[in-house]
Amino acid sequence: MGSVEFASAGSGVVGGLRRPNFNQMLSRVADSLFWLGRNVERAETIARILDVNYTRAMDLYSQRDGRSEKLWRSVMQCAGFINEPDVAANGRAARDTFGFCAFDEDNSTSIVSAVRIARTNALGVRAEITTEVWELINVLYLYVQEQDSSSVMREGPSPFLRRVRDRAQAFAGISDATMTHGDGWNFIQVGRYLERAYMTARIIDAIDVANEPWHESQRMLEMCCASAPFAQASHHAPDARDATAFVVLSENFPRSLRFCTREIDEAMHRISRSPRGTFVIDAERRVGRLRSQLDYASIDDLLSEGVSAFARDLVRQYELLTRDIERAYFPRLPVPA
Amino acid sequence: MLDLQPQYAVAHHYDELYNPDGTPRTHYEALAKTLGSLGREEILARVQSINTALLQRGVTFTVYADSAGTERVFPFDIIPRILAAEEWGRVERGIKQRVRALNSFIYDVYHGERILREGRMPRELVYSSKNYNREMIGVDVPHDVYIHVSGIDLIRNDGGTFMVLEDNCRTPSGISYVLENRDVLKRGFPDLFNGYAVCPVDDYPGRLLDVLRYVAPRGAAAPNVVLLTPGIYNSAYFEHTLLARRMGIELVEGRDLIVVDNVVFLKTTRGLERVDVIYRRIDDDYLDPLYFKADSALGVTGLMNSYRAGNVTIANAIGTGVGDDKSVYRFVPEMIRFYLDEEPLLENVPTYDCTDDAQRRHVLANLATLVVKNTNASGGYGMLMGPYASAEERERFKDLIATNPRDFIAQPVIQLSSSPTLVEGGMEGRRVDLRPFALYGREVDVPAAALTRVALREGSLVVNSSQGGGSKDTWVLQ
Repeated sequence: MGSVEFASAGSGVVGGLRRPNFNQMLSRVADSLFWLGRNVERAETIARILDVNYTRAMDLYSQRDGRSEKLWRSVMQCAGFINEPDVAANGRAARDTFGFCAFDEDNSTSIVSAVRIARTNALGVRAEITTEVWELINVLYLYVQEQDSSSVMREGPSPFLRRVRDRAQAFAGISDATMTHGDGWNFIQVGRYLERAYMTARIIDAIDVANEPWHESQRMLEMCCASAPFAQASHHAPDARDATAFVVLSENFPRSLRFCTREIDEAMHRISRSPRGTFVIDAERRVGRLRSQLDYASIDDLLSEGVSAFARDLVRQYELLTRDIERAYFPRLPVPA
Repeated sequence: MLDLQPQYAVAHHYDELYNPDGTPRTHYEALAKTLGSLGREEILARVQSINTALLQRGVTFTVYADSAGTERVFPFDIIPRILAAEEWGRVERGIKQRVRALNSFIYDVYHGERILREGRMPRELVYSSKNYNREMIGVDVPHDVYIHVSGIDLIRNDGGTFMVLEDNCRTPSGISYVLENRDVLKRGFPDLFNGYAVCPVDDYPGRLLDVLRYVAPRGAAAPNVVLLTPGIYNSAYFEHTLLARRMGIELVEGRDLIVVDNVVFLKTTRGLERVDVIYRRIDDDYLDPLYFKADSALGVTGLMNSYRAGNVTIANAIGTGVGDDKSVYRFVPEMIRFYLDEEPLLENVPTYDCTDDAQRRHVLANLATLVVKNTNASGGYGMLMGPYASAEERERFKDLIATNPRDFIAQPVIQLSSSPTLVEGGMEGRRVDLRPFALYGREVDVPAAALTRVALREGSLVVNSSQGGGSKDTWVLQ
């Protein structure tokens, strides 16, 4: 399907409103809001991943036995670099990987890049977002731009990473509290939860939980911000199966794949106004199928082919979902057929 | 404490604050008193927080000459420029008259050329204007309004009388600074407003929207108005976002629009949506690659056909640039007499026509005392300030003028009035101009929202933002 249903547009002139159908929006604007949501979320996730691993590398994963290399390689993998020439292989693993993931302008998933992309998207839709949302993004951008990577590393990166995370999380709250919850806001939601799910799936894939069950499960949970929530829910120390089950299937934990997929599904149906359980575009069909799978399958079913196969399939599904959304809502030339 | 004694000689030009005898003008007395009561440290701290706020808000402009395309805060001076009600009244009446005449002129050059036929203006002057647009001949626009938004630049002569320096009838910018300056000044220096009743400026977007809706083509009950911007890298992009937000209209780029069967549509997530009025902040040349610059990626293919078919209103109309051509400028007083049968309320600055042999000889012989301006440039680009230019620069302009006399005019150097401005050492006089904006729908409306630009460099007479200028909040008193 190359475009959305055009027939559904008109709903009569609403008195006093500037346009008969207040909810339709420019495709370019929808596109930018989607990527605004994604890139703010990405900056936050990368900042958290770096923080968790930087602190862990200090004690447990020391240089001696090659664990440090392994740790930083998994960070690269989370950031989408599975087969990179080993940035992490030499003795300066921590510093190089950190710099690459935080400050490298050429790496489109680094913190500075994600923030810059978010800000460019926000600028392009400046008239559609509130002043509060714009200023938050702009201040984050100005802050990240003025950081110098060597002094951040010298003083320890935690305050920097914390500030990025705080600002990125404030974005969710401020957009929620100040923007009209119309299509624009919903596109931000779709972007945010799609990126979150995507990164959770990547984290699951990047960590070999079977190898060192307790420590690696703990590291995975922390990278998903799930350490305390898991402890509260399970009342026992993490083991590989339960930790994975939590970040995949938890009904209420806001970074689980199930939770995120549900949020994407809901936001997409709010945009299309089609009832839950039906679809008018391919993207809704795909996300509905995923949601059902995560709602009804057991963890053992899901992992029957192994954790990695499962996680990679999910990563692929979220990529395809992105493509489906782009085709439906951001086509280059949406002329009715 | 700020030193409020005049630290600058005001002998040879008009000063906004001080009378020639060194006493403050009546309408500045309260301000002078308040400023004197604030400590220097306190003022500087508040200025700092205003600048931070402007940067965080993104109230910036892009410097084209700078290869990095840097965004900069347009420098803001916290000491307001105050205009007494009666004085503003004179400005307002003069601008209304001028804009009516200019609009009549633009209608006329595209409908019958009465002013040319009657010999009141040379034909070749109009036809040779780079912004005269043959595509517009015979095209009717709603209510015959062409110049929906204009900015008329005024300066004071030595006696303090306002004169028109130039007309901007295409896409004048600066209103966002007017709106933002007032907002940050109110927050940063609320005490300055003590003792004054200042006309608000924030009704401007609403008034503009009224004009844009009024000129919609079909008389539609709820016309769809959009603001067309070249995009985020344009120097005035901030202004485009501010106006679109305040008016609640869509901010669009050329790629968001499509023309189908001579009707302009927005590309939305729910298909195509008809557009009735385009407030464009793109020059004529970039609007439609079919008619104008073929390589323009900013415009909309087929827009001109839709416009000529009367399916969409473009504001300002296409072809208004012939009205603000710097060679046409000297005929504006004549236009006022010709179309309105009135005497001009605002004077022009005397202007030499370089295409006239005798005048050109005078200009070439007196470059050191004149300002030379390119007739088609704006923003302070392509001009020569004779008294301050190097000998080589003057020689270069001599050649340019001799080769293309139609492209240049010359004017005597007008000193401009000075206005108290916060500088490193305290408060000093800096030269200012005044750009009131006129909105033309049912009639000409001049909101009390004018831009004061200030040349921050000592002694400089050039106020453009690209040339080291800043701005001030401008108070029109009630």
